[in-house]
Amino acid sequence: MSKKEYIKSLVKEAELYRTQSLLTESKKKYLQALQFIQKTQLFSNKEKIVGAIKNKIRILEKDQARITEDKVTPKLSKDVQGLIKRLFSFSNNKEAVRVEGAVALAKFGQHERALKEFHSLLNEGTFPLVSAKNIIRCHMSLKSPDAAINEFGHWVSGDLLSIRQLENIRVFLQTLLEKQGHEAKLPEVVEAPSQIPKTEKKQDDVIDICAVKLKLEDGPQKGNIAEFDVNFQSGNVITVIVSAQQKELVDTLTIGIQLPDMEFYSPIAIFRGSGIVFGKTQIKSGPKKGDYVLDIRVDSA
Amino acid sequence: MAIFNTRDRTIECRIVYYGPGRGGKTTNLEYIHRAFRKQTIGEMVSINTTGDRTLFFDFLPMGLGKIRGCEVKVQLYTVPGQIRYGSTRKLVLKGVDGVVFVADSLEVRRKENMLSLKDLQQNLAEQNKNIFKIPLVYQYNKRDLAEEGVPIMPVEVMERDLNSKLKIPSLPASAVNGKGVGATLKECLKLTLHHLQEELKWAVQDGL
Ligand SMILES: Nc1nc2c(ncn2[C@@H]2O[C@H](COP(=O)(O)OP(=O)(O)OP(=O)(O)O)[C@@H](O)[C@H]2O)c(=O)[nH]1
Ligand SMILES: [Mg+2]
Repeated sequence: MSKKEYIKSLVKEAELYRTQSLLTESKKKYLQALQFIQKTQLFSNKEKIVGAIKNKIRILEKDQARITEDKVTPKLSKDVQGLIKRLFSFSNNKEAVRVEGAVALAKFGQHERALKEFHSLLNEGTFPLVSAKNIIRCHMSLKSPDAAINEFGHWVSGDLLSIRQLENIRVFLQTLLEKQGHEAKLPEVVEAPSQIPKTEKKQDDVIDICAVKLKLEDGPQKGNIAEFDVNFQSGNVITVIVSAQQKELVDTLTIGIQLPDMEFYSPIAIFRGSGIVFGKTQIKSGPKKGDYVLDIRVDSA
Repeated sequence: MAIFNTRDRTIECRIVYYGPGRGGKTTNLEYIHRAFRKQTIGEMVSINTTGDRTLFFDFLPMGLGKIRGCEVKVQLYTVPGQIRYGSTRKLVLKGVDGVVFVADSLEVRRKENMLSLKDLQQNLAEQNKNIFKIPLVYQYNKRDLAEEGVPIMPVEVMERDLNSKLKIPSLPASAVNGKGVGATLKECLKLTLHHLQEELKWAVQDGL
């Protein structure tokens, strides 16, 4: 291959990568061509070719910059937002589906629509803590910390959330504000004896637990750690399956037993807490026949 | 995760096109949308960024008709391949039943193919799924570029890079002109439905 042909082939390759939007690869090839030309002696119209290639590289760099700077999240149509809600919620539980749908909207940058969804969830007392925290998160993502602070103020003087939940949210908000460099004095959460939150009964604050770890406090396996995948979850009740072969474990986990030392694994975080076994049935048929289904209520997490 | 509805005998599963950015995932779905009109049961939805790169996902719903007495619906998705959209990829991969990994045959994308495969394996593991067990097929795309005089990897090299351990079906393709697109999808569907039949025992319950 002559020098000219070699350069031509490099440029051709670079052009092809550009049409494939492989900008980095394209630039690399142009630079390779450029270096080769500059090293090579005896070349007619060298300056012209160098100029042309340099120009190509400039355009590529502009395109690259445009792509990396493109950070705006498009506001999607109502239909597409609805589709996202539907496609990215998986739970069997009707209320959990709504939370998952709203979380998906927020994750896909549709914060305003997500805010609407979380507000209606909170107002109905569905997953109040999760909904409230997501409202805060949406405000922060929308770069409106003041709205988050205002909202928190309303909650403190309202009765949608319990004292414990408000305290939890206060710490959460404070941390987010500090992270973003805001200094704000949040209203204190004070115990009002007459306040009985509407939502305290519907303690559905636990979200999407995939697995649990628990320490056995009693029985022959005392001190041992047991781990389970969560098969089903409805609110703060999770269901796990214990193999019949783990006889000692099955016998230890009786109905009513407290599990003070538990770890819960969710897609978002690992958290510690406690629970209580409040249901246990043996599977009568199917591939898991003989195994046990345990219902564990998550009390604090 | 497939939704199996015993009452109206429908099954709905998710197939995700995964792979490095610019590898041709969206091109696959666009072709399917055009060529399999009869089986598509809704519009294709694409959410892109500047320069036609996928920002969130592409989505195409299909209906395959009755298989073993069961109405089978399939949702096809693509993930955004660009490295920086990692969290979106995780979200789109949630509940996946089968994966088509679209690898780029261009030699300059060799490393990106391997990185993306690693990323797939990690994201599957996060949802307690094993890359060795999930229905998965490779598509070695852009084979047509050999004629353009740019270096592309021989199939053997791609097999060694990506398939020496997994040993899954791999198909050459040229998604821009539709070559191999249907075959890839069919292979993945075959594996996925077979896997679901075993998992849901729907073959056994034929009479249901
Ligand atoms: N020559 C050739 N080009 C292809 C082929 N498949 C895709 N392309 C081109 O490759 C580029 C990228 O294709 P896309 O389908 O957008 O790639 P993608 O995998 O969806 O990319 P991301 O959305 O960024 O992850 C486009 O310019 C396509 O025309 C092919 O088989 N042959
Ligand atoms: Mg795409």
